[in-house]
Amino acid sequence: MITLVLFVPIILGIFSLIIKKSYFNRISLFGSVVLYILVAIAVWSNFEWYILPDWLMVYFQFDNIGLYFFSVMTIVFASVSVYSLFYFEAHLLTAKQESIYIAEILFFIVAMTGVILSTHLALLWVFIEATTLTSALLIYFEKKKSSLEATWKYVYICSVGIALAFVGIILLSIGSRNINSLFFNDLYKNAKEINPFWLKISFAFIFVGFGTKIGIAPIHAWLPDAHSEAPSPVSALLSGALLNSALLGLLRIHEIFIKANSEVFSNSLFLLTGFLSLVVTSVFMLRLKNYKRMLAYSSIENMGILFIGISLGNLGFFAVMIHLFAHSLSKSSLFLTSGNILHLNKSKKIEDVKGLLKRDPRTGWLWIVSMLAIIGLPPFPIFLSKFLIIRAFWLSGTGWLIIPFFLLLIIITFGMSSAVFKMSFGEPLNGESENIKLNLAAYSPQIVLLLLLLVVGIDMPQQVLTLINNAASFFH
Amino acid sequence: MSDILIILLGTTILYIFAASRIEAYVKALALQGTILFLLIVVDIKDISWINFAFLILETLIIKGIIIPYFLLSVIRKNEIGREVEPYISQFYSVLIASLIFMFGFVAAFWSAKTNAGIKPLYFGVSIILIIASLFLIINRKRIITHILCYMILENGIFLLSLSVANEMPILVNVGVLLDLFVGIYLFVIFFNKIQEMYDGNHIDTLTELKD
Repeated sequence: MITLVLFVPIILGIFSLIIKKSYFNRISLFGSVVLYILVAIAVWSNFEWYILPDWLMVYFQFDNIGLYFFSVMTIVFASVSVYSLFYFEAHLLTAKQESIYIAEILFFIVAMTGVILSTHLALLWVFIEATTLTSALLIYFEKKKSSLEATWKYVYICSVGIALAFVGIILLSIGSRNINSLFFNDLYKNAKEINPFWLKISFAFIFVGFGTKIGIAPIHAWLPDAHSEAPSPVSALLSGALLNSALLGLLRIHEIFIKANSEVFSNSLFLLTGFLSLVVTSVFMLRLKNYKRMLAYSSIENMGILFIGISLGNLGFFAVMIHLFAHSLSKSSLFLTSGNILHLNKSKKIEDVKGLLKRDPRTGWLWIVSMLAIIGLPPFPIFLSKFLIIRAFWLSGTGWLIIPFFLLLIIITFGMSSAVFKMSFGEPLNGESENIKLNLAAYSPQIVLLLLLLVVGIDMPQQVLTLINNAASFFH
Repeated sequence: MSDILIILLGTTILYIFAASRIEAYVKALALQGTILFLLIVVDIKDISWINFAFLILETLIIKGIIIPYFLLSVIRKNEIGREVEPYISQFYSVLIASLIFMFGFVAAFWSAKTNAGIKPLYFGVSIILIIASLFLIINRKRIITHILCYMILENGIFLLSLSVANEMPILVNVGVLLDLFVGIYLFVIFFNKIQEMYDGNHIDTLTELKD
């Protein structure tokens, strides 16, 4: 099965590039989507089917947490693929352009799958760097001056960051010389034998490197630029899938600290940068003029919340898993809807968009409801995860931190909701037609994402709960 | 023998700090690639032949010949001015370089005492390469020098991995090399685009996106 998810999309992508026919592009895109969904379901139901050579099995594996991240990525990937149909139509892409877009998306997805499934630290690094390289051309897809600038910053900052992470990996291999292996299982088993000094210094480097990809403050500089300049479906993929997969890399290293009983060090780094991200977002949220950048800053905020949750341990991990799922889905929905708005208004400025509810009621409502989902209004699951994080603060004896946490969240919520309401209500600007209806593909993915969130938020199905519990129990 | 080569590698960094022409950077890069190749031939024993062949390919062919040639042709084609244009003047740069060297040697002495199984001189010089390249990245205005300094950073990391005796699986080695190669290729593509779209190739021209 692992062979299928790693190789089939690549082969389909290459054929798309060669054949350059519209029908084949769609076959390869949706073929891959269906394959990913089937594999996720098969692994959920413990169906095993090995066809790959043994030596490859050693390097790739579905573990509980990997399966959870894979499932979240698959949901985002499926919704982005459906929305892409609208994107093709709205931008009048030729079959050749479509095939480039689809091949890049498929390569990008495979790179992220590699990050999720890797069992070797250095191999995980290889795939994280590969995500940078495969997504760079997607960010530059619209070939504008500003997207070129964003791409350059993205590729360069992330490459240097990831290079530093490799320094960390080498330093870790100095510290774990007696183990002489960088497979995660070996590192976990012998975590106590790793020299603490080298472990800490290597973590500092890896934290900076992977943290750059996650977009945590203060190394988030590329994130608002890249997210705002990429085509909207790509922004959704970046925010909903890429950040998570880099986070998984960091979590796997964090597990070494937990196994070595020295998680105080990594926890304090997570807590500090988590709060810093909230502060940075709250400072910028009130003065943003571009709604896609607003969504990008919200991603920084949510990664900060995830970091804070990780630092709190036990209950925090459970909250992190719920939050991660909810953030990916609601942020994808927001980014996809922002694509509709961009198509209707041809401007990314908040002040250029007025009366969205009258102009296109469906887009308007999706925009509002997705925003409510991301700020955590009950019954959306982000409410649950934030509540659990506050409880975890209390249980871990750092209850006083609830006050700054809450205040920062309120500022961010205020900034974001006021921008969304300003865009949604009121009268459309002069000369703009009302009651437009776009293609079905422009609404359906967001509706499905929001419905999934509601189902999980109102009455979590037992299977989902088991999946989350299994993923959270990775840290023991 | 290997000590002499390592010292030579360190001096290439001093040369880069003192040089004011971009082509000198590329030549220093090619030299670094060749020195790394010689180091492997002289110093590495007890590894599988496939890994050995791979390291030769990576250092001599890729780092020593292909990438420098590629970058040199880009520089000549785009008729980039010769000067590297630093933010801080050359004199202070060299002063800072000597501080970085001091730190590197302190690290080398320290690592010799820790008994962590690393080769001290390799360790010290690789740290010099890494810190120096990061300093050069922030201190140069031109985008092309950023690409060159990224290569120096990669060379430093390569040397650091040589200072540890552990052998990486071949799959990982292939992946690392592929990433490096595609990375440089993409850098150059985007560099050419920036050259076309913006008048000039200074990092200061990229200021459209901000909050």
